Amino acid sequence: ASLGDSQNLKCVTHNLHKMLCTWDITSRGRHGQTDFCYTTNDLTPQVCFKTKERRVEIPIPESSITVTIKSSGTAFATKEFVIHQKDISFVPVTPHILSLMPDFPTSTLNLKWSDNGSVFPYGLDALWQIQILRKEATEITYYSKLTHEDVILSWNWTSDMPLECTSHYVKIRCYVNATQFVGPKNWSDWSPKEMIPGKDTEPGGSGVFPLDPVVAVGSDLTFCCVHEEDQRITNMTYGSKSYKMMQLSSRSHAIRVLNASVSNSSGTNVVCRLENGLEGSVVFVGYAPDSPQNLSCETSNFLIIKCTWKPGRPSGLYGERRTKYSLFERTTGKNVSCEVNEVNKDHTCGFPVLPDQKTYDFILGVSNPIGQAQSSLLVDITQRVRPITPEKLTVTGNNSTSIQLRWFINGSFAGIRLLCQIEISSSHSERKLHNVSMPGRKSSTYTAQLNALHPDTKYQFRVRCSAADHFWRWSDWSRGVEQTTSEAPP
Amino acid sequence: MAAADSPSAALRRDLCSRGIRLAGKMRADVVDLLDAYVEQQGLDASASVAAVEGVPLAAVERWDEQTGTQRLLENLAAYRAFRALLAQMLEEQREQLGEADAGLGRALAAVLLQVSAFAYHLEELLRLESRGIPGAEEDGPPPPPRLSLFEQKLRGLGVLRELAQWAVRSVRDLRQLAKPGPATGAAPGLAESP
Repeated sequence: ASLGDSQNLKCVTHNLHKMLCTWDITSRGRHGQTDFCYTTNDLTPQVCFKTKERRVEIPIPESSITVTIKSSGTAFATKEFVIHQKDISFVPVTPHILSLMPDFPTSTLNLKWSDNGSVFPYGLDALWQIQILRKEATEITYYSKLTHEDVILSWNWTSDMPLECTSHYVKIRCYVNATQFVGPKNWSDWSPKEMIPGKDTEPGGSGVFPLDPVVAVGSDLTFCCVHEEDQRITNMTYGSKSYKMMQLSSRSHAIRVLNASVSNSSGTNVVCRLENGLEGSVVFVGYAPDSPQNLSCETSNFLIIKCTWKPGRPSGLYGERRTKYSLFERTTGKNVSCEVNEVNKDHTCGFPVLPDQKTYDFILGVSNPIGQAQSSLLVDITQRVRPITPEKLTVTGNNSTSIQLRWFINGSFAGIRLLCQIEISSSHSERKLHNVSMPGRKSSTYTAQLNALHPDTKYQFRVRCSAADHFWRWSDWSRGVEQTTSEAPP
Repeated sequence: MAAADSPSAALRRDLCSRGIRLAGKMRADVVDLLDAYVEQQGLDASASVAAVEGVPLAAVERWDEQTGTQRLLENLAAYRAFRALLAQMLEEQREQLGEADAGLGRALAAVLLQVSAFAYHLEELLRLESRGIPGAEEDGPPPPPRLSLFEQKLRGLGVLRELAQWAVRSVRDLRQLAKPGPATGAAPGLAESP
């Protein structure tokens, strides 16, 4: 007799090593004991079992196997079967979900399960069908390779709607592509379902979800309004526009907003009007920060390094959602957060000059709830000196053809030489520039003597300074001072 | 009860008329602020807002039967509550908007100043009648629970609407108080509290 005889002998393997054979017995012999014997074709001795179970687990044969089933106390006591490998079907063990964890802010489910790989030879391909059941089912196929070890697989799925909107159920089944196995190969059974309850199952769970999200411009958004069973929903608006509602459950309706545009500073209201009340959420739609452009750093006093940059496109986000900046110096690991005013657009950040450090490896980090970016700059700060505006320019001596000037510069310039430029103007002659260089000092005064001036002539002077070596930028001009040379001696 | 033409009656009438002008100005500014707030927050001007916890209601039953002291005490309690509510709104405004739309923040701060000034003015009136002034901490509303942003917006709407109503009521209350003596039938004078 062959498989599928009225006694329906069927053999299934779950692990490609052993197979589970089951059979039926006519009603008369159902409660008696059965002798189950089998032998493979290479004349090995017959192996027999006594069982009442009508199921037996035996090794899978290399090629075929002869089975004899002897039911005690019936006319048709003995039946013989020949089972070939191709008659054995392979159905992997039903997988079990180890954990299903929701992350509500990102509407993401994290699923963990064991691949039960230890029962299979190394290297087989496995397919996993994962079904997410809500209002409508979503099915995803996931691939993995079995490694002859039990590996816990982890998989994330981001829902197109907030998890709060309605309950999400997940189940999983498996198919192992046992290429060497000749019998029919089938999917396992579905695992038991795991569920993440929606707010529409909670008493008092009303509200609009997601609550106060921050999303990127261009996003497609789903908002739902969870309400009490007896509350009738009038409409749902996004900004000033009403949207067609989809019913997710008796307590949950949703709208779909495509290609969201940037919101105003106070956000876009998503309002759910109910018969006797309002529910709402505020969504902030903005841009991830651009990489800062033209990052440049200089010091005006060797105490503070001031970095400036061009921020790129405004994010459209304000207050606690605004774009935040921080300046990180890689060699020292020092990090400074920058106070930046998104509205009046002065993008600067101060970083302390560190003792005995000339070179700074800066990373300007930029982030807001939608994204982040950065720019970097390696700079030798002694080559980026733009002194503070010289102060207290005064005339300290003069005669008919020369004048001595003195001025003060705040800051620690002891490590460099300064180059200062004095502008000489008078009504008689063109504006002249006189350069003078001197060793820098710490918060000090500096002097210069101007010769070859005309007697009895009113002059205006002002001064600006820079680094003598590695010129970077001039300071601003100082305030002017006026002086008339004395008359020439008779 | 002070005689009609006595210096304190004249002072009270002066305080009342200044209070009426302050309340009138405050109402105009609150109405402007309300319009700007509705637009800036993207709200529907006709939205019905449920009674907001901690916001004193201007509507009062048997308004004409109130004594002068009751009027002043209720007004003072209300404006102290509004002072705290507006300060909370200003804090939330800075938190949510930062430097964006500073105009609304300035308008909010200006109304807060007027509410504080008006509360002080009411205290002056109570002092004038040698009435004990309830301690400020008794009246301040307990900090409300953390609301969602939409609930914050609706609460702000409710606060400003009610404040506008209170300014109207305060003008009527102060007019009532400014009337000379009890002979006039109503109970304008600062009679003993019941």
